[in-house]
Amino acid sequence: MTRFILTVTLALTLALGLRAADWAQFKGPNASGVSPEKDLPVEWSKDKGHKWKSPLPARGVSSPVVYGDRVYVTCSSGVRDDRLHVVCFDANTGKQLWHRQLQATGGTAAHPKSCMAAPTPVADDSGVYALFATGDLAAFDADGTLRWYRSLVGDYPTVTNQVGMASSPVLVKDRLIVPMDNAGESFIAAVDTKYGKNVWKAERPREINWVTPLVRTVGTATEVLFDGPSGLTAYDAGSGEQRWVSKLTKGSIPTGVLDGDTLYVPTAGVTAFKLGAKGPEGAPVMKADKLQTGMPSPLVYLGKVYSTNGRGLVSCAEVKTGKLLYKEGLKGAFSASPVAGDGKVYLLNETGTCTVIDGKADTFEILASNDLGGETLGTPAIANGRIYIRTDKALYAIGK
Amino acid sequence: MLRWDRTAPLLSAALAVALAVLPVRATDDETTRALSALKSVTKEGKGNEDAGPAWKTLVSKGGAALMPALEAFDDTNPTATNWLRAAVDAIAEKETTAGHKLPVEKLEAFAKDTKHAPSARRVAYELLVSQDATAKDRLLPGFLNDKSADLRRDAVARELGAIEKAARPSLRADLEKLFAYARDKDQVDLIAKKIGETGGAASVSEHFGFVTHAAVVGPFDSTGGKGFATAYPPEAARDASGTFKGKGGAEVKWVTADTTDKYGKFDLNRIVPKGAAQDRYTDAVAYALAVVVAEAETPCEIRVASATAVQIFLNGKKLFEREEYHHGDALDANIGRGVLKKGENVIVLKVCQNSQDQEWARVWSFQMRVCDETGGPLPLKQKITADNKDKIVPLGYIPDAPATKEEKK
Repeated sequence: MTRFILTVTLALTLALGLRAADWAQFKGPNASGVSPEKDLPVEWSKDKGHKWKSPLPARGVSSPVVYGDRVYVTCSSGVRDDRLHVVCFDANTGKQLWHRQLQATGGTAAHPKSCMAAPTPVADDSGVYALFATGDLAAFDADGTLRWYRSLVGDYPTVTNQVGMASSPVLVKDRLIVPMDNAGESFIAAVDTKYGKNVWKAERPREINWVTPLVRTVGTATEVLFDGPSGLTAYDAGSGEQRWVSKLTKGSIPTGVLDGDTLYVPTAGVTAFKLGAKGPEGAPVMKADKLQTGMPSPLVYLGKVYSTNGRGLVSCAEVKTGKLLYKEGLKGAFSASPVAGDGKVYLLNETGTCTVIDGKADTFEILASNDLGGETLGTPAIANGRIYIRTDKALYAIGK
Repeated sequence: MLRWDRTAPLLSAALAVALAVLPVRATDDETTRALSALKSVTKEGKGNEDAGPAWKTLVSKGGAALMPALEAFDDTNPTATNWLRAAVDAIAEKETTAGHKLPVEKLEAFAKDTKHAPSARRVAYELLVSQDATAKDRLLPGFLNDKSADLRRDAVARELGAIEKAARPSLRADLEKLFAYARDKDQVDLIAKKIGETGGAASVSEHFGFVTHAAVVGPFDSTGGKGFATAYPPEAARDASGTFKGKGGAEVKWVTADTTDKYGKFDLNRIVPKGAAQDRYTDAVAYALAVVVAEAETPCEIRVASATAVQIFLNGKKLFEREEYHHGDALDANIGRGVLKKGENVIVLKVCQNSQDQEWARVWSFQMRVCDETGGPLPLKQKITADNKDKIVPLGYIPDAPATKEEKK
């Protein structure tokens, strides 16, 4: 099973043009939360076990992303939360390479737990694409050159979500897929990575939604799967044409996991469907209805599916049967999604404690509990043999 | 007759000067063209093809382009401003990495010059402070009444610290003076509290210019959310008179309502008349009408907070709308910009409620204030009706408040 998952992950990352060790977007390769990295760290604290620690200019709940020797982080600041930051660090030394700021052009109201730096950026060979909850969207080259910028609220003035938007953009070759479900003009769009212009823009229901799109290849087509309160829709990545819609899942906060042709969605616990050319085929292949999901997205790893929630519950079920293997309570709530690699599962709570559990075991085996202190709402990134964790004040590269 | 041996050095010098000047001239042209390209970006990425190379050109000019880039904020749109904002960051970063000092005198002059865009002045101020920390104490006192919300905020915070540290006999007067400058709710509340601790009283409601008296009519039908796009007659109301056909065909008429909440909150579930068995409304529209009196034509902002969809009308003209339900009711989240005419002005606020049945979705309320572009008070009054008599009182007037501006006079 391990080999199968790694093979699928590798195939997927190659298909998307990513290198195996990169963690270029929200939850890494196609939002799987799984890294093929080895020799990942188990123990650390705020004073030891990390390669470097660098201060961040402000708070953010987005995840760091790592591409090659660059780590990119977004932050937002100011009493109105209207200053938007994109910061680039050397992945090996923690040296801040550049820092650019933008002024919010959209509304900045949000739930106090969130902020304008909630969507996770996405990176590629050329640099990074940063979307903010204000609808400000910018592409920077790896050296900090601003390649293009868009004010999506300037373009589409009714865009609004006063709870705060958090869906993250993803890349499909030379197109940036921008999810913009909100209470106003909702859409998902593909913009060209060179100039930031719309290639296509598909109308969406006026519903708030924090789900990040997934990408899959079906025959010669590449599909963008976008779950939302009105169902799961597949768009042709090339044209934006709607290929199919399924009402079997209706997501709004956590993002599902695509493992080969199986889609795991956080509906009624976690439910899995086989995807055919026209969407889910037949009845669910797995129902783990005892899993309790919250804001974090589920994780599928080594034959098991994991979920965490805002009450500190960690649930784990068998992928084959949906049978609950364990449900354990940990101290503190979870907002960050669980991630995994090297046989370990990393569970980062909201106050800086990361519990590392054995991903190979069918029982709840804690390998270590590591406290960095500080607020940790963003999902960690795994790359270069390290775990990159952002707190509200600093970015840590944990490992050697 | 000129001798060559004497003329040649002169010509050489002139040539050298010309050569030295020409590249500068070329650089200026390039900078001008680059700025023009950045300022030409508009919607949906139009102009991005030219803006990208222009950004690179501008940044390549280094320190020489810093002040022109800041100046370019003055007359451009928010999209272009962000191109410039990132360019200023890159230029400053490049200069400081190269060990070059930023032009502190120019930055200081720029930050102090209120003709420039507030956002650019803030950037200039921060660059200045990064080079000269003493600039804070030198400049902030001059920013107490600044159009830049961030400069003003820092100035108020610094001044509050200085006032408290000095502990002068004039403490209350000093705090009251500072109160007038504060705009952010946390600072306004804090200073009002400190004034209270000195035995004084500050009206938060008047400071913010909240409407505290309104005529309200409703409910009108909004089944399926249709009420937001339906222009019911009160939308064009010029006074609180008349009766209308409301939801379900019932006759509805204006009722007057006052709020004593210092943040001007009106609870429509309480105000809008309803049957005895009904404790809240769903799928409904209500209108609130306020009469604001201006001594002269006055540009203003009508700022509204509501957990549900709103539309703002001034003298019959729609200024703003937002169709969003139960995603928070942050202060000033909805802003309509308009111009008050001299005399009486009718502000109509449309507030819609949807069909959500969660406990937290029962909220159907609004706050509305009229202020200047900084969020500060304007010399405005509101017309209220009490004991069947019209009365002109300040915006934010709360009858039982300990001390209002009116009373102080």
